[in-house]
Amino acid sequence: MSKHQISRRTMLQGLGACMALPFLEAMVPSGIDPARYYEKNSPKRMAIFYFPNGVREDKWTPKGWGTNFELSPTLKPLEPFKKDLLILSELKNNLVDVRGTDGHYTKTAPFLSCFNITKTTGANINVNGISMDQLAAQHVGKQTLFPSLEYAIDPVKGGVDSNVGYTRLYGSSISWSSPNQPCPREIDPVYAFNRLFRRVIPGKSQGAENPFKKSILDIVMQDAKRLNKHLGAADQNKMSEYLESVRSVEKRLVSDDKLKDFEANITPDIKKELLRLNVRIEDYVALNAGVDITTKVRLMMDINALALWSDATRVTSFMFGNSVSNRNFTFLDGVTGNHHTISHHRDNANLLDMYARINYWHTEQFAYFLDRLSQMKEGEKSLLEQSMVLYGSSLRDGNRHRPTNLPIVVAGQAGGSLKTGQNLNFPKETPLANLYVAMLQAFDIPVERFGDSDRVLHEVLA
Amino acid sequence: MRRFALLILLGLGLQSLLAANYPADQRHYWRVVQPILRKHCNEACHNADDKKGGLNLEKYDFIRRIQADGELFTDLMRQIEDGSMPPQGRPRLTAMEKDTLFTYIKKYLNDALSVANPGLIPPRRLSRREYQYAVEDLTGYAFSARAFFPKDPSGGEGFDNYAKTLYITPLLMERYLEAAEMIVEETACSVENWERIVPKTSKKQLRPLALWWAKLWGGEAASRKARRSAAQDVLFPFATRAYRRILLPAEEEQLLSFFEEVYTQLPKGKHRFDDGIAEALKVILVSPNFLIRQEGDQPTDIPYLVNDFEMASRLSFFLWSSLPDDQLLEAAYRQELRDTTLLKAQVERMLESPKAKRMAESFAAQWLDIDKLSEPSHNVDADKFPTYTPELEGYMQEEAIAYFYHTLTESQNLLELLNGNYTFLNRPLAEHYGIEGVEGLSLRKVSLSSEHRGGILGMASVLTASSLPTRTSPVLRGKWVLEKVLGTPAKAPPPDVPELEAAKKTHEEMTLRELLEIHREDPACMGCHQEMDDLGFALENYDAIGRWRENYTPQLAKIDASGTLKSGESFDGPSELKSVLQGKKHLFAKNLAQKFLGFALGRSINFKDYKTVQSLADTLLEEDFNSEKFLQAVVMSYPFRYKISDPVVVEDDF
Repeated sequence: MSKHQISRRTMLQGLGACMALPFLEAMVPSGIDPARYYEKNSPKRMAIFYFPNGVREDKWTPKGWGTNFELSPTLKPLEPFKKDLLILSELKNNLVDVRGTDGHYTKTAPFLSCFNITKTTGANINVNGISMDQLAAQHVGKQTLFPSLEYAIDPVKGGVDSNVGYTRLYGSSISWSSPNQPCPREIDPVYAFNRLFRRVIPGKSQGAENPFKKSILDIVMQDAKRLNKHLGAADQNKMSEYLESVRSVEKRLVSDDKLKDFEANITPDIKKELLRLNVRIEDYVALNAGVDITTKVRLMMDINALALWSDATRVTSFMFGNSVSNRNFTFLDGVTGNHHTISHHRDNANLLDMYARINYWHTEQFAYFLDRLSQMKEGEKSLLEQSMVLYGSSLRDGNRHRPTNLPIVVAGQAGGSLKTGQNLNFPKETPLANLYVAMLQAFDIPVERFGDSDRVLHEVLA
Repeated sequence: MRRFALLILLGLGLQSLLAANYPADQRHYWRVVQPILRKHCNEACHNADDKKGGLNLEKYDFIRRIQADGELFTDLMRQIEDGSMPPQGRPRLTAMEKDTLFTYIKKYLNDALSVANPGLIPPRRLSRREYQYAVEDLTGYAFSARAFFPKDPSGGEGFDNYAKTLYITPLLMERYLEAAEMIVEETACSVENWERIVPKTSKKQLRPLALWWAKLWGGEAASRKARRSAAQDVLFPFATRAYRRILLPAEEEQLLSFFEEVYTQLPKGKHRFDDGIAEALKVILVSPNFLIRQEGDQPTDIPYLVNDFEMASRLSFFLWSSLPDDQLLEAAYRQELRDTTLLKAQVERMLESPKAKRMAESFAAQWLDIDKLSEPSHNVDADKFPTYTPELEGYMQEEAIAYFYHTLTESQNLLELLNGNYTFLNRPLAEHYGIEGVEGLSLRKVSLSSEHRGGILGMASVLTASSLPTRTSPVLRGKWVLEKVLGTPAKAPPPDVPELEAAKKTHEEMTLRELLEIHREDPACMGCHQEMDDLGFALENYDAIGRWRENYTPQLAKIDASGTLKSGESFDGPSELKSVLQGKKHLFAKNLAQKFLGFALGRSINFKDYKTVQSLADTLLEEDFNSEKFLQAVVMSYPFRYKISDPVVVEDDF
């Protein structure tokens, strides 16, 4: 049996799991109409999906502009969600287009932050701004258990690229909570799931929480403060990283209120989904299916969707692969090689065909995520209606490495703020940051400018 | 643009007004040297607006900034000298201009080198590797950090012990708490491990009879005192080892009062004391004193020796990737590590300890880039290579580490990394290599009769790590040799290389060599690819998982493994390549020196370390690549033993 068949079986399982379950109104205060309650209280969510190595151009852009368009071969898997999509052409991440630097790292790290990054093997890591998802998290993050969650499939790439003089960390990070610090990403479905949900899955949590956790944190905080007094400038930086981390953990894990709030979010619907997902993750570990990338991607997407549904967080990002990812895609029919190598197709027909197949696989996975969101209900609305989901890459054509006319799709209506169902063409070199300003505004964050933006991309707003 | 230039001129006017406050050479730079840079480099290309090639030369207003970016300017002078800059079509520098520029830039750089600067080592948290070993040394429990923590990023010379990329994040802090719970509980499950931390003797005074006796004489206070003193006997040695130094009185008091606080809340019973201790151990394992390595600053701007305990940590994290042992801490306490003879003796002792294998593991796996084999993003194609299993992959990695460890501690000859008549094999790996007569699963030293193996270039781990999942890539292997062995990485490919019509033919119709030769017809590519590809072709007799082959399959085309280097040496096949590389041992020595120094210091090696790197390379060459003498020299080196205080204002940070 090929890996492909396994993934199809798992996919069906996943779909089966989200067939209409009765909506239980456990969460709604008595005497209030659930539909109206959710209308008011259902928060907006933001999810980002990054894929490496660009796309095959001629199979990406749909035919026909405006509301009357036909999905392209690569975007075909999104057909069920056609009315939920914004497909945007000719956006460009302008400031990162510095000639003669490097093809990948300089574009991946600032995909969401839109400034040119500082060239370094590690001494001066700086993307010169924070990423737009993190800006959103700063605004809405206090209301949830986690300000944001970052996921990926591959661990951060080790070493430095000595040909171009960049640390590979740049190629493994799109979410930056500060210009100098990327958010670490979780890549293991078991840990990612347990981190959020172990307390609500019976038998998952090993015994009771340690009653002394708070005192432990108090003491180590005193240690850090004591050390802080004797340190130079750079040293204090590290100690403040430490202090901030302790405070964040304390707020989240020690304060009962936050945990109880979160646990109250777990409606019977969500709980059923969690239990099913838990079984699938256990299967995944037991079958040692770690090699089947489709299964792993989908598990991570399920966790991602459930994190949003349970309101553990309202902002997530996900990387299908690190910059220059050379994942072996021979598990796809008709593909005999690996991602980055194939993306340098040299206009060779055979390689172009494989490139399109790899692009298509990514879209299929993205469609799976949208499907999950559309099945998750909050009152009358689906989570997809409440969300904005960005799907894109930091390059156009992998063979040419240019950050012009980026492949960008936004799905979901963000609670009615986005005017979906459009295939839009913009003037050449329209700043990608214009889209981000619009997205942030649709997320109810009062920003006027971001990166190199020169206007709000109001065409996408409702 | 023009307006911008005007602004600069205005700025300059101001500068010259204030210039009287600056030293003569700085004023001379503004008057004579900088205008040349401005005219030929800044104006059209390398300014703050255009930043051609990512380079802005406008910001070099001060000599000290040039000195801080010495590498960049060395490279710049080289490019001007060989005529690659300014580029075609731009006016050349006059002989006078060239001479002025070279004379003074060289002078600035030499001045910078003559001032000894050990460099700044910022505080760093333990990498997950170091955390794992430290926990094992402290508790005896073999904790697996690899599964538990996200992988650490790397920087500098490419290692994950790089201070600046070892971030501390909420996610990590959460895991530290969980890990501490797990480690302490697991340690308590093993009587042997627990009693090493909480010896029975420490509890003598807590036996019911003893306590009854104490109470009779001193009341409740006496029993509390007995308990405190017992807790102290357990916690202080543990914390001292974990914090790698003498505890401060405040820290001692804090641990004891925390223990007491917990103790009073615990239910009465046989395990009450141990349970209280367990909680205090968790504090120690989450404390910044354990998790972060940081060295105290003295209020001076001249370099000074690191203190004794800091030196013990530098040594142990370098050679063992873990905490100092008791002997090392005692040596620090007796101030012996300031004595260079005793310091050398410590290096000798530490290399003899089995813990040195950890260094082999962290250093070799990262330097050779074979760490990535076990990551999900690197998967050898199972259909093409059905014999490649996770077990075999593990043995392949073990071979490289065992071999490296051997050259480090047994043969003590680092040149054997390039070539040797032995390697480390078990049955599956030997079968993979087509070598007969090796049984069992444990790797052991095996003498080789053929020249196909021996040395890193014949190792399946290296050969697989430098291949694609489905086939070999001479380009990747050549790049690997340039980077990992010779330390002379190729420059980044030029942007927007035009497509070659001929390259559009399908891959199957041509051999790899033909394809790459077409590629090289482009003069923009040839400069680097000629050498890079040839180095890779020399290794074509190894397939994508490192097995020997004489022909390509299925085409059965004979493998052509010949090539020539820029410097003129030619070779045919891996064993000739090895001899050629051994002939370039000065490059290998310099590369090893730079990598080891970067690993030892956890920072980038930069222009200011030039002299140290050179002298370490000289040590290797003079001492016939003796590993012990070399590692002693690293430890004795100025940046390893000295430090400079972190200045309050970071000047070049703009």
